[in-house]
Amino acid sequence: MSDLYDAVIVGGGMAGMMAAVTLVEQGKKVAVISKGDPVCCFSTGCIDVLAYGDDPLKGLGSLPDSHPYHLVGEGSVEKALALFRKTMSEGGMPYIGDVHANRKVLTSLGRWKTTCLVPETMEYADFDPDKYIHVISFYKMKDFYPQYITSRYANADYSVFDPGVITTAGIAEKFESRPFLDTFISWLQGLHIPEGRIAIPAVLGRSLVGDVYRQVSAGCDRKVFEIPTLPPSLPGLRLFAGLKNALLRKGVDLYWGRGIYSVEKLGNRIEAVTLANAGRTTRVEGKAFILAAGSFVSGGLQASMDAVTETVFDLPTYLPGTRDVWFKDDFFAPGHEIEKAGIRVDASFRPIETDIENLHVCGSILAFSEIMKNRCGHGMAIATGVAAAQACGGLI
Amino acid sequence: MIKTDVIIIGGGSTGCGVARDLALRGIPHCLIEKGDFAAGATGACHGLLHSGARYVVNDSEAAAECISENMIMRKIGVKCVEQTGGLFVRLPGDSKRYRDMFLKSCEETGISTEVLSPSRALDLVPNLNPSLEEAITVPDCSIDPFRLCMLNITSSQRRGGKILTHNRVIDTIMEHGRCVGVKVQEESTAEIREIRGKIIINATGAWGNTVASLAGGTVPMTLSKGSLIVTNHRLTNMVINRLRPASDGDIIVPNEAVCLAGTTSIPVTDPDANDVEPAEVDIIATQACLMVPNFHSTRVIRTYAGVRPLLKADSGDDREISRSFRVIDHKNGMFSIMGGKLTTYRLMAEKICDSVMETLGLKTKCRTAELPLEGQEELSGYPLSKRLKTLENIVCECELVTADDVEKVAGKIGTRHIGDIQHRTRLGMGPCQGGFCTYRALGIMQEKGKMTPEESMYVLREFLQRRFKGIKPALWGDQLREEQLIESIYLGILGMRQEQ
Repeated sequence: MSDLYDAVIVGGGMAGMMAAVTLVEQGKKVAVISKGDPVCCFSTGCIDVLAYGDDPLKGLGSLPDSHPYHLVGEGSVEKALALFRKTMSEGGMPYIGDVHANRKVLTSLGRWKTTCLVPETMEYADFDPDKYIHVISFYKMKDFYPQYITSRYANADYSVFDPGVITTAGIAEKFESRPFLDTFISWLQGLHIPEGRIAIPAVLGRSLVGDVYRQVSAGCDRKVFEIPTLPPSLPGLRLFAGLKNALLRKGVDLYWGRGIYSVEKLGNRIEAVTLANAGRTTRVEGKAFILAAGSFVSGGLQASMDAVTETVFDLPTYLPGTRDVWFKDDFFAPGHEIEKAGIRVDASFRPIETDIENLHVCGSILAFSEIMKNRCGHGMAIATGVAAAQACGGLI
Repeated sequence: MIKTDVIIIGGGSTGCGVARDLALRGIPHCLIEKGDFAAGATGACHGLLHSGARYVVNDSEAAAECISENMIMRKIGVKCVEQTGGLFVRLPGDSKRYRDMFLKSCEETGISTEVLSPSRALDLVPNLNPSLEEAITVPDCSIDPFRLCMLNITSSQRRGGKILTHNRVIDTIMEHGRCVGVKVQEESTAEIREIRGKIIINATGAWGNTVASLAGGTVPMTLSKGSLIVTNHRLTNMVINRLRPASDGDIIVPNEAVCLAGTTSIPVTDPDANDVEPAEVDIIATQACLMVPNFHSTRVIRTYAGVRPLLKADSGDDREISRSFRVIDHKNGMFSIMGGKLTTYRLMAEKICDSVMETLGLKTKCRTAELPLEGQEELSGYPLSKRLKTLENIVCECELVTADDVEKVAGKIGTRHIGDIQHRTRLGMGPCQGGFCTYRALGIMQEKGKMTPEESMYVLREFLQRRFKGIKPALWGDQLREEQLIESIYLGILGMRQEQ
């Protein structure tokens, strides 16, 4: 049993899904294979492009020459982000912001994080400790403590609502029931919050369309915003669901929850991959392949005591020295050396030092991306995902 | 000012043991510790309650002390000792002559042994290297050093002993050439207090000379750093030793849900020298693999090191130095206790308390070997499942610690740091090493008014840095994945890098 695709994408994270969107919109037959749900589910749902300066796109020039963003170029990064926004808006989950402006959003530690595009539930989430905010907390919720925030703000207060459950996902599920939502809104109205914004941990429903958020905002007649919580965070899960639904709508075939068991090569080309499953295997054949399996956290790269390997195609990897230099002594120091590890590619995102012709690589598995240091994870995944797909589409 | 009879400096196993001993003899005392209990070599050891077999060939005195104390601890410390038993494993190429000496010495010292064929050894510990020549059983146990200290302190507290943790001795009070008290400084308030007593006991382990010198004394000791690595789960339910002269990485000890493998032995001069080098991790992991081949594919979740305070000897190799101990009377009101092992902490306490009693002209006998450790009735014992009384409000998913556990402990004496809570509940001791639960535990402490938000930020930063120090030498494989996730949580999602 075998399926033939124009392009087979290995990895269902931001880079892989945006590569799929790009190719399917070119009319290609596309498959995405993913071992499991991607790490964007752990993210804040915000799109970090680059944490330097006021305009992240202007900041690209300050990155070292080796950074994958340079393979894409400023203009194409902007276009890729536009494709992402269009895709999310079509699914009813618009992203807010200006790609030429960084913003600082409030975190659940009372600090801020620098990001660029945000889901609509975080439109008003700017970190602004001089203005009054009212924080809503939930009784015994284990991943949110309002004191972290109110202590940092000159003028802030909090109120506690008892939802009857204590986990982020559990509370979010409750919000999707009408009677619960009504009770919450009338409780909120009863607080008579005098002025300013209302901050709520990100539990306003699991759904992507922001329905719950809009009703809460309308109900209390205040600017409301969500604060992303510890993983798994709802805005991250919504981002993933939004993109996955877009792929399904556009007719991309998804092979989810299955790892790659073997790779078939013929000459300089990858012919097919076989997926493992209990009792049965599936062979997925492709004219071209895109590797978007992510870095260490996702499992695309794996470190042993003295080496780093790429786990799907066993591509040559760049390794920044021996283990004793992988990490700096200071946890808070920006940029541990290990972040540079990954796959080096040529100008059309093909891995170097290998003879494979029909493989492209994108996302955080790329060498020198240093996404923690540069705070560019989702932005770089989107930009390189789209760019690698375009390079790949030209060859099919 | 506090007035008491005996001032004990040091809250490791020895200091806590002395506090219990004096309490049972009815002697008023005050214990001073600069950090938390078990913060030095006690908390950084293997958690091995030695049978003495490790030392039996070269150091029969220490071995005899170990086996006798081992038998006492099994009786009095049921809830902090796990009777795992131990194996000495002889691998191909290991000396048969050493094996014969080992068996003969064990017999002479009274350490019971049984020689097992490879297949019987593999029945007991299936993860052992299947090419082993043979294994010898010994009565090793594993012991929880934090719990041991807390239980000893319970006896003291129940009899009015004063316990000051997070207080550092900054000077001694000398009158007519005698040491009649100490000045201590509280860690967070920087408040300085005087404590006066008739006798001062220096039980500060590796810091022995720092304290003795405050009263003009010295102790003949040498410092040796030992590093260990912690695995994600148990690879063996018995203590595994290599049957050969003591060397790097020859012990694996099961402790709670994990295994501890070590150690190294590196001479140091600074008692705070507890950095673990990646090269040490390589040595330990390589050696552990020889005994338990699965060690190679096992996740290492962190490393730590402690500094052993050893009696000074002329020999060059620290491993040749006797693990026995000595009481030193400085003849000025201060006594120091040096050397020894966690296993012999009770005996060490007994001996120094005997000296104290003689000096005070009192005759009450030591009772610490007969009476069970107090406070054990409140402990659940070892199985993880028993630790979990309700499924509600778990804040630490790795070690199943609930919000109630944190709240309960947060109110008690001496718990100011997240580390204090970790020692008492095992919060943050699992695979994520506090990555998720520390944010929660500090949040609960703020909520309950146990800590100001400013304090909590300071504590969180300090915790993350200290945690990273322990994890950094072991970052590869799954632990590297976990670390990058934790980094993205604190520096990315929570925005902690902006703090700088």
